[in-house]
Amino acid sequence: MLVFAISDKGGTGRSVTGTNIVYRHALQGNDVCYLDFDFGSPTAGAIFSVSAVARGTRENGLHHYLRGECPQPRRVDVWAESDREGLRTRPPGAGRLVLLPGSEGGGELSALTDEVVGRCVQLLGRLDEEFDLCMIDVSAGRSFTAELVLAATVRMPAIPFRWLVFHRWTRQHIIAADGLVTGADGLLDVGTRFGHDTDDLRDRIRFVRTAVLEPDAAELVGLRDEQRAWLSACDSELRELAGRHGVGRTAMLGKIPLDPVLQWREQLITDEDVLASKIANAETATAFEDLAKKIVDDSAWEGL
Amino acid sequence: MLVMGEVHTGLLQNSGEISESTCRQVLGLMAGETVRVSRRPIVHALSPERLTGVDCALPTASRSRVRGVGTVVSRCAVTGGRVAQGSSYVRVVRSDADRRLPWSHYLARPGVVEVLGKAKAADLAEGFTGDSAPGRPDGACLDLGAVSGRFLDLVQQSTLLDRRAPFKIPRTSLRWVAETGEPSIRFTLHAEQERTLRLTHPGPFTTAVVDLCEDLATHDWLLTSLLVIVERARIGGTPGAQAVARLAPAIDHLMHLWMPAARVEEWLTPFWESLERRPGFTRQWRSLVDRVRDQVAMNTLALLNATADAGRR
Amino acid sequence: MTPVHATFGEVAAERRIASVPLSHVSVELGHLYMEDYEAGPDRLREQFRRVAPWLATVRSLWQERVPGGRARVSTCFLVDDYFSRFSTPAELVPMVLEAAAEHDLSIDYLARESACAQFEDAQSGGVELARLVEDRLVDDPPPETDGSRPPVKETGWLCNGSRSPRTAPMQAMGKTRPWEPPAQNAKRGHSIFVDVELWDEKGPRRTWSCPFLAAVWQLLRLGLLRSDGQVPLPPVALDGGWPRDWDGLPAVVRLNPQAAPFSAYTTLSVLSPRFLPVELAVRTILSQVAVDDEVLRQVATRSESEGVRLEEELVDRISYVFV
Repeated sequence: MLVFAISDKGGTGRSVTGTNIVYRHALQGNDVCYLDFDFGSPTAGAIFSVSAVARGTRENGLHHYLRGECPQPRRVDVWAESDREGLRTRPPGAGRLVLLPGSEGGGELSALTDEVVGRCVQLLGRLDEEFDLCMIDVSAGRSFTAELVLAATVRMPAIPFRWLVFHRWTRQHIIAADGLVTGADGLLDVGTRFGHDTDDLRDRIRFVRTAVLEPDAAELVGLRDEQRAWLSACDSELRELAGRHGVGRTAMLGKIPLDPVLQWREQLITDEDVLASKIANAETATAFEDLAKKIVDDSAWEGL
Repeated sequence: MLVMGEVHTGLLQNSGEISESTCRQVLGLMAGETVRVSRRPIVHALSPERLTGVDCALPTASRSRVRGVGTVVSRCAVTGGRVAQGSSYVRVVRSDADRRLPWSHYLARPGVVEVLGKAKAADLAEGFTGDSAPGRPDGACLDLGAVSGRFLDLVQQSTLLDRRAPFKIPRTSLRWVAETGEPSIRFTLHAEQERTLRLTHPGPFTTAVVDLCEDLATHDWLLTSLLVIVERARIGGTPGAQAVARLAPAIDHLMHLWMPAARVEEWLTPFWESLERRPGFTRQWRSLVDRVRDQVAMNTLALLNATADAGRR
Repeated sequence: MTPVHATFGEVAAERRIASVPLSHVSVELGHLYMEDYEAGPDRLREQFRRVAPWLATVRSLWQERVPGGRARVSTCFLVDDYFSRFSTPAELVPMVLEAAAEHDLSIDYLARESACAQFEDAQSGGVELARLVEDRLVDDPPPETDGSRPPVKETGWLCNGSRSPRTAPMQAMGKTRPWEPPAQNAKRGHSIFVDVELWDEKGPRRTWSCPFLAAVWQLLRLGLLRSDGQVPLPPVALDGGWPRDWDGLPAVVRLNPQAAPFSAYTTLSVLSPRFLPVELAVRTILSQVAVDDEVLRQVATRSESEGVRLEEELVDRISYVFV
């Protein structure tokens, strides 16, 4: 299963959510890998706490590979190479957790050639042979990278794939997320141009809301009644807006609550962060765990 | 001088095993050439051979620069309708010329790479299969693994396959070097999926040596994969029924494929036999298979007991 | 009990390659295109007048070379029915034969160019020679080709070196590369870079280029092609008269029942100099075709057994006279 992670805009928490989902999926006993296709700023290494590739790798990164500069991209075994104590041993029953870092100092792809698509097809096809889940961080907004994977998946019709569109719970983000999927030159538009079936592609896309502040959240206890009432009104307004833009409940796969840890430092949230040091909220870890299951749960992906 | 090759082996990306006729289509890599199929003792299909041109440095242990020009022979195989391979090799010989000749010269010698200038067979053999060889971070030199990998891709990307393989498993790679001399064989496990084989055989090289290496690679992959599946099942660490469910793909898809030396010519069988003594491939395979069967038997017993208990109540 | 020696064989597991009868040389007396036909029979007569002395020369050269002087020389003539269809066999062939006879030339075999692309009839089923040859192309590798990447290809093209690298940057805000010239792999000092179009496609229909079909034609005459181990398009004698439709004509027709075999160790083509660029392209293609090992061995064994030393590289078995 290939999962493409995209967001309407930068700063939505796409990378940190994606990596946490992959991490939880590995803990659930699956072999997983994470591909940092965020070519403008490949920072997945930092989230996995692998300092050697914190901002990408100098050699054999994914950009190098796609540009044909190396025969195979580098693989990092997170369980062996992470600097974080809590990640450095593979928990019993957990699957493989592998990161394919981007290239340090790489830029967005500037053109889509047949060779580049061919290399992408080769890479994803081979990874699919050995991993239960491959998550590909496609970066934010419309990009050649998004085009690349849309073109590549047309050439591999038998390999299952899904798209996650990450967005924040605000008016602008809801509209932008909808536009990214259904707007002109959006995913459906471009995908159809490359040869995807529009309806089939739509069924493979779900939204994930990030940094969501629930009106009944514990953080809001100290608020005045007026503030709470205003928040609640905003929330229902947003819900109505989301419904109108096809970003509503039915198209949503999950939501990640606002968590200070994720705001201030992009990192994996381990059970230790929740139970021992208590820096992270249990709800956040549960939300990741839930998404990690839903991502492969066919009933969550039935036609809309 | 010597022959070097590399075999990549993987699980065919299909939900079940494929039929002989599908094998023929999947492996039909060249118009006008037939796929060779043998049915005893296990169905084995072999694609026609194709060539790839190379002009590059050859791997050397001494890091001295040795240039080789010629063609790599590659082929694909499917064993038991289930295990797929991409296999490539070159015969390395000294060139009579000291410069590169017109390409047609090399095409008249398919599968031969001619070395321009000085080179020692031992240096090349060690460079290709030595400890530092797999992974090879520095400097570009002859990459038979990449060629084999692409040939395996050709099979795996066939539109005749449904891509719904019963389990996920990495490919393995076996690099081998064969020379003529006093018979000996050395099989080495390197990190993760890398293996090397050094073989010295009496008499001149024939493609039977390639068959032997591919046969060894198939069985090493089977053993490696069964080990992974047994490890994933976490016998003793998870409830019996769950462990058995995780072992099921091995029973359905792997356990009947063990057929050591099935396609090895008689004069080469002593090499397989010596590997059977040490490290003992079949011994380890049997013990794993027994373990899987015992788990299934115990779980069945437990289920029967539970049913009987329920009946009594 | 003494050990029993068991032998086991499986037909489907073995590879069988048929052999083909071979002349010493196959001489192509001409190649008829629409424009030649339109120019009338005089153009043909002129062609045959030029060819005649060369055929005699080749014949005597081989008679000297072959022990006993029994040189096997066969002649052939190719009609273009692929790029343009004109006239009918019934009308055209007798005219060609007549023009040849005026110069004491006998055409042993007549072939259709479209058969080099693909041919289908009840007898031989279907065979796509062009596809067969395309799958046997092995690109001439530029230095530093180590197999780690797939060969650089421009779909439908084949060259004798490396093309100019692309100058556009591969990533946003990346550097552009300065232009670099293409280079021939086997250059001697300076390059003669050749890039040949093998085919083009308009919609689902692929049109093979003239040089590519000419390369197939050379391989067919050299007896180096096999389809499923069988010799493709063996010459057949024509029963009855010439058909009114090209599709009714066999791929290769044997006109002379006493003719030496169609295929030969070597070929000679007598052509107008306007075919020079086409034949350069043909040689570029042929020097990148990997003929089956077993077939090469068969031909080598046969020629050695009758005391003929063949050039090892197949492009060296092809010669031309441009007149």
